[in-house]
Amino acid sequence: MTTAATQQSAGSGLKRLVERYPFLPALAILVVLLALNGIYQPRSVSLVGITGLVKTYLALMLLAVAQTYVVFAGDIDLSAGAIVSLVNVVIIVLMEQWGGGPFMVLAAMGVGILAGFACGIINGFVVAGLRLQAIVATFATSIFFTGLALYVLPVAGMPAPAAFWRTYGGRFFEVPFVFYAVAVLATVLYLLACTRLVTRLLAVGDDAQAAFQSGLPVTAIRIRGYVLCGLFAALAAFCITGDTASGDPLVGGKMTLFSVAAVVLGGTALSGGFGTVVGSLIGALIIGLINSLVYFMGVPSQWQNLVQGVAILLALMAGVMIGRRARR
Amino acid sequence: MSKLKLIGVSKAYGATQALRRGDLEIESGEVHVLIGSNGSGKSTLCKIVAGSVRPDGGEVLLDGKPVDVSGPRAARALGIGIFYQELSLAAHRTVAENICLADLPMKAGIFIDREALTERAQHYIALFDGVAGDGFSAATVVEGLRADQRQLVEIMKALASEAPVLIFDEPTSALDRAQVERFFDILRRLKSEGRSIVFISHRMDEIFAIGDRVTVIRDGETVATSAIAATDSASVIRLMVGNEDELAPPTEAPATSSPASRDTLLSVRGFSGKGFANISFDVARGEIVGFGGLHGQGQSSVLRAIFGASPVTSGEIVLDGRTITTGNPRAAIRNGLAYVSGDRGREGIIQGRPILENLMPIHYLRDRLLLASPASLREKAKPAVEALHTKFAGFSHPINSLSGGNQQKIVIARWLIDRPDVLLLDDPTKGIDLSAKADLFTLIRKLAKEGMGIVLYSSEDAELLNNADRILVFNGGSVSRDLTGSERTRYNLYQAAYEAA
Repeated sequence: MTTAATQQSAGSGLKRLVERYPFLPALAILVVLLALNGIYQPRSVSLVGITGLVKTYLALMLLAVAQTYVVFAGDIDLSAGAIVSLVNVVIIVLMEQWGGGPFMVLAAMGVGILAGFACGIINGFVVAGLRLQAIVATFATSIFFTGLALYVLPVAGMPAPAAFWRTYGGRFFEVPFVFYAVAVLATVLYLLACTRLVTRLLAVGDDAQAAFQSGLPVTAIRIRGYVLCGLFAALAAFCITGDTASGDPLVGGKMTLFSVAAVVLGGTALSGGFGTVVGSLIGALIIGLINSLVYFMGVPSQWQNLVQGVAILLALMAGVMIGRRARR
Repeated sequence: MSKLKLIGVSKAYGATQALRRGDLEIESGEVHVLIGSNGSGKSTLCKIVAGSVRPDGGEVLLDGKPVDVSGPRAARALGIGIFYQELSLAAHRTVAENICLADLPMKAGIFIDREALTERAQHYIALFDGVAGDGFSAATVVEGLRADQRQLVEIMKALASEAPVLIFDEPTSALDRAQVERFFDILRRLKSEGRSIVFISHRMDEIFAIGDRVTVIRDGETVATSAIAATDSASVIRLMVGNEDELAPPTEAPATSSPASRDTLLSVRGFSGKGFANISFDVARGEIVGFGGLHGQGQSSVLRAIFGASPVTSGEIVLDGRTITTGNPRAAIRNGLAYVSGDRGREGIIQGRPILENLMPIHYLRDRLLLASPASLREKAKPAVEALHTKFAGFSHPINSLSGGNQQKIVIARWLIDRPDVLLLDDPTKGIDLSAKADLFTLIRKLAKEGMGIVLYSSEDAELLNNADRILVFNGGSVSRDLTGSERTRYNLYQAAYEAA
């Protein structure tokens, strides 16, 4: 009793802030990176520069969001990138076959969403339904999805219809399209945060046994997490298709672990139960800014990977250390 | 007609029969106390009613009709709510979210109605108004709460089910007096509303303060049910003890029964840490000191702290005349301490590796081995393994191919290659079959005879009574009684363990 009483925290203001908004350390890192980018290349923090950054990394932001919902429940999805690839080639091939008309483009995107949904169901079934290890099972499904993508489009390079990428890269009423996309995304994420599903995902990630004993349908909840992940991965595929304007059956593969890194950078616990999607968005932007910073600093190409890796490690360490210090 | 009736419910976990024949009959509008010693099957019985454990056999009748409680969701639908002893809270969610977790109020089909959520939670929080302590509100995150406050949240969560049948599995273990009083007021009100309440507690005074009837469970079987008014604590304890002989069966040679005459090997002074305070005791050469009492009263914590596996705030250890510091297990092992946990899977065996590798880690550490040939290691391992009658096909077979009992023998054998001075046994026979247990205790007594000091914590009282020369009974993180010689009876053990803390 006495030890429990002394344990109670005094609770400083900063501590409470970081507990309420776990992405604050990531936000601080983001600001530092923006400043560094501005020093090395002043144009990178202009409207054009920011637009370019968002245009390139919106896909990763969406994929990080996708990953977050799975991580909330204490799971992981190593097939997220493969879903991006699959949806990318599916919509490219369909748009090519159906002609590039606006309705056909929308129809192809509808099929893309369905494909992402189906991938999510499959992942949810093997992980939550069959109770396989999430890491191994989704690694296996990632190979399966990549295989499907290679069957749909064996070689990279089929172009997207002009209507598609012009819209993605274009402006409406002087405002770049990607900013509308970000606004819609923010609204959707806010609404999702208010849903029962997200609270239940977090409760399952916190302690699956406790959630089960409380009477939550744990398996169904975990499957829904994977379905959300599949849907957001499909949206990420739309962005990458808009950005690259072509089909590539391997385009998403390398994004998977970046999405996991973004989730962790954003302050979400990989063990589940705790985190925010806003953090993941910031995490994805941090990765984007690190990549562009390496470029602006004029690092020789053979050293770029090494510097990127070190920078991401540093960002992770800084985030963890700020978080720990603030919670103390 | 009784509200809830269980007939011959049974459940086995592997080789362990947790519940043999559970019978229970609860009326509407009564507080029914369930009592029994550690591992007698109370919690299993409750979990079967709540659907989180599927029974192997038996029948559950609700309002006279047989029902199939297929899971916690089914239980809720049938009108059964439960307080879990180990709590079922999501640490990062708020108090309000936890209280209403199973049935979050909704609006527009998919969104949580935050206002309704807070309002509903507030209703249950208000029940404990004034006794919940500082910083307790609907919006507080559970992680930041004290142990007693978390327990209150779990109580509120059970109450929020508004179920006609409510089960409380040790709801008062961390609560203070005022909180318990308030909780009992609530129980009395629920009773007057005609609800059926199952209440488990290890505090006799509470049982007599709130119970209407009491059912005693012993070794997985329902022994008796009687009205509280018609019984007293002595007869309840007698029922828990059973007809087994009052005196412990004689240990092999209590000839050297005056410990003072033997030289002290291990001496622990003023030991305090998380979960225990001011523990002092001596272990003489050749003595088996038992730790008894209810589960989780600090016995394991003390053993782990002596071994350096968990931190200590104050106190000292004197081993064979020298004061030692055991900041970590490596240092403890080098000083000649050994620790065997009952949780083999997590803290004992090296999963999936050959038996030989599982036998060697302590030898490696103590002899600072860098290179060794398997053949010479086998020679060293053989006598240790043979001493325990371990059955196995070959040293190269994976540890997982062995039964639980034989795995534990391997874990103990690894300490016997280089003899330690003191062996700390932390509930070592958990989930082990009877013959392996017999082998283990024969060995433990032999080791003691050869001069090793042994500290044995066991959740099975019979093991303590049969093997320990002296039993320290733990209660609430400190030693409440020291039973020696002919005092070592089941009755005394229970009485010391169940005294109001």
